[in-house]
Amino acid sequence: MPLSSKRILMGNEAIALAAMQAGVQIASGYPGTPSSEVMETIASHAKKYGIYAEWATNEKVALETAVGAAYSGARAIVTMKQVGLNVASDPLMSLSYIGVKGSLVILVSDDPGPHSSQTEQDTRAFGHFANIPVLDPSTPQEAYDMTLLAFRLSHEMETPVILRTTTRVSHGCADVITGDIAQVARDIEGFVRDKRWTIFPKLTSQRHPLLEELQVRLSDRFSGYFRDNSFNSISRGNSSIGIAVSGVSYLYAKEATRDYPGTFSLFKVGTVYPFPEKAALEFLEGITDLIVIEELDPYLEEQFLQLAGRHHLNVRVHGKKDGCFPVSGEYDVDVVIDGINRALEGSDEDVPALSHSSPAINPADVPHLPVRAPTLCAGCMHRTVFYAFKKAAGRLRSKQGVDSVFSGDIGCYTLGNAQPLNMVDTCLCMGAGISIAAGLSHTQEYTSGKRAKQVAFIGDSTFFHSGIAAVVSAVYNNADITIAVLDNRTTAMTGHQPHPGIGMTAVGSPAKIIDIADVLRSCGVGMVRTAEADSLDECVAAATESMQFEGPSAIVFRGRCVAISKGAGQYVIDKDKCTRCRLCISQLGCPAIFSVSSGLPVIQDTCSGCDLCAQVCPSGAIALKEVSQ
Amino acid sequence: MKFDILIAGVGGQGVVLASRLLATAAMDAGFHVATAETIGMAQREGSVTSHVRIGNEVCGSLIPQGTADLIIGLEPAEAARNLRYMRKGGSLIVNEHAIVPSTQGPVKYEPDRLIGFLRDNCQDKCQSMISADFTRLAKDAGTYKAANVAMIAAAAGAGLLPFSEEYLWGVLEKLIPEKHRDVNRRVFDRAIESIPKDEDIRTKKPSMEGCETNV
Ligand code: SF4
Ligand code: SF4
Repeated sequence: MPLSSKRILMGNEAIALAAMQAGVQIASGYPGTPSSEVMETIASHAKKYGIYAEWATNEKVALETAVGAAYSGARAIVTMKQVGLNVASDPLMSLSYIGVKGSLVILVSDDPGPHSSQTEQDTRAFGHFANIPVLDPSTPQEAYDMTLLAFRLSHEMETPVILRTTTRVSHGCADVITGDIAQVARDIEGFVRDKRWTIFPKLTSQRHPLLEELQVRLSDRFSGYFRDNSFNSISRGNSSIGIAVSGVSYLYAKEATRDYPGTFSLFKVGTVYPFPEKAALEFLEGITDLIVIEELDPYLEEQFLQLAGRHHLNVRVHGKKDGCFPVSGEYDVDVVIDGINRALEGSDEDVPALSHSSPAINPADVPHLPVRAPTLCAGCMHRTVFYAFKKAAGRLRSKQGVDSVFSGDIGCYTLGNAQPLNMVDTCLCMGAGISIAAGLSHTQEYTSGKRAKQVAFIGDSTFFHSGIAAVVSAVYNNADITIAVLDNRTTAMTGHQPHPGIGMTAVGSPAKIIDIADVLRSCGVGMVRTAEADSLDECVAAATESMQFEGPSAIVFRGRCVAISKGAGQYVIDKDKCTRCRLCISQLGCPAIFSVSSGLPVIQDTCSGCDLCAQVCPSGAIALKEVSQ
Repeated sequence: MKFDILIAGVGGQGVVLASRLLATAAMDAGFHVATAETIGMAQREGSVTSHVRIGNEVCGSLIPQGTADLIIGLEPAEAARNLRYMRKGGSLIVNEHAIVPSTQGPVKYEPDRLIGFLRDNCQDKCQSMISADFTRLAKDAGTYKAANVAMIAAAAGAGLLPFSEEYLWGVLEKLIPEKHRDVNRRVFDRAIESIPKDEDIRTKKPSMEGCETNV
């Protein structure tokens, strides 16, 4: 690799390459969109450069592993998404008191929008809460450069550093100038015994003042970056209106105000926590209206409001709190233009409103379009299992008057909530399906007369992440639940990372297989069996049997993920045998089958040959297409 | 100079690959690029868009409304859904192969009428509009999955991109695994041939002021 080269990189790839350039020795993470490609990229280069890289079973374990490495002086990185940081928050909150040796960078990706998350939470707030410095890049190039800074800062200040990205930085691609990556140095000092590594109330009370003092030192240091660091900058305009931005909002603000060069003063901050107060105070001189543009929480806005209050400054702060900007959702140039215009209305300066570009076609003229909600892939094994439980539950209801509640979990199979399957009644966070089902089962004795059966669906990777503890608790407390493990042999939703059930590590080395059925048995689940997901009959039988079992029961459904393994081939409908009953459409929701109203269903090219529709068709009209030649 | 391309389609159609190809070719041709792609849950059979921004200056990766120079619609409804992004005088290239969702909501999807709408409304308001069944073209050449490649090749063949088709093919050769290269080359060539060369088809070269210095 040349000393410095330019190439097109996703923000996540840029972070990974920068970590490698910084000499990262240990990397651990748990996949989660939009963060996963950081670990994936490091793992794919790990053997070549001598890096240790692993997928941990969850974010708490990943962080603690990286912490252990950093305690012994290693350069370590840990990666996760914003909800993953919640899982890791227990060690994180204590770690800020203890600090690290070596260096520890915590990459957390936020997801404004949200595109594929349960929450729209803001990791900058977590940094503030935990007293851990946060860097907030606005482009893949900055993500690269800030990763290098994060490793340096962590080492110098003996604190973990959070590198916080958002979807448009993590998953955006751009041309990035990268440096040379060398073989990883074997220069770890090793663990040295010291009282500082054992947290005790006494140590906490000693460390807390130092931790607070560090925040002040860091804030001053970050203020200094406005002079000599491109991540932070102040530019002066000729009006008394200022704009403060961090992250990707910087680019939106720049583009929104492109036609007004030199009008607004700009405060761009990449080192968001601790807030660089001194620089901010300097910036506010001569500013009467400050427009704060930031996605998710009003973090910068609150910092500026406090600062203005403490120094009795005569400045109006416009942002989310005065209704100029939306409090939720993803921003773009159009959102930013509207927000700036709202703020301008309230200012004394005579700056004309910014204008939008008008489209060639008036959006109101476009006819109504079909809704296209995400659904399970054509041929996904989860569809067979959901459908089997639907049938089993139907029988239980009609024969024994028992209602069934289906608790879902986080993964592709959350999409089992879509019509016509409609098989997800609850979904909260990773691993919660089992515990919520358990909770629901314990209300059984209080709901007189109403009989219900609790079923929890959980994926293979989620099972290892946080399902096992929930199983132990359910068994110990004798919850009457059925656990359905949807084992498609991969972590499908986040891009097919391996997990402990597969027998392969992050870097592709063989590993011990942790058998899910064995784990369930050893946790004391009363009835455990496995079923092959390609046979609907077998799945229905297993579902029925386990739902009739009293106490905790479990089935591991084994199948394939169509995104990584091929099926038998394409299926076709015989128009002579088909009675137009439309069961194949109304029951399954396979995206490969469609038909215009009351016509003959048609199977499209995207059929992956799972055979489910053929097993459902009462007329034997669906069969594997014979390949000519 | 700036050139904004919006690619729209359905999860599984290869929108992300198409945007990677365009962005890499643009970088090879000497421009800055920024892309925003839909990855993850939204991809599974849902609507997917990819924004590709090419220019001399670094921009945010999301195209503002009414400023896209080119929309590549891998599916008619997805092209229509994103028309608000097209600037006056922009270009549209649309795949007539419709993907009808199996579970349809209250709106019935009638692809022929929608394609009619696009023809009636866009032809005058676009600098150029190309509409064809690129899925069929790709299938005839070996695999329906390469409709994305067919469409970007057609865009290049019609002179709708700020760089030549050689840059595109150069990237395809690098990015596409060897076993799929031949079929993709076939799709690529046939798509370019499919663009009529006479003036009639409303395809004019886009103005590319300022591009020459970079290419
Ligand atoms: S076999 Fe039937 S259910 Fe399975 S993917 Fe093909 S069309 Fe869908
Ligand atoms: S289930 Fe069988 S008979 Fe009924 S519409 Fe589908 S193909 Fe035809």
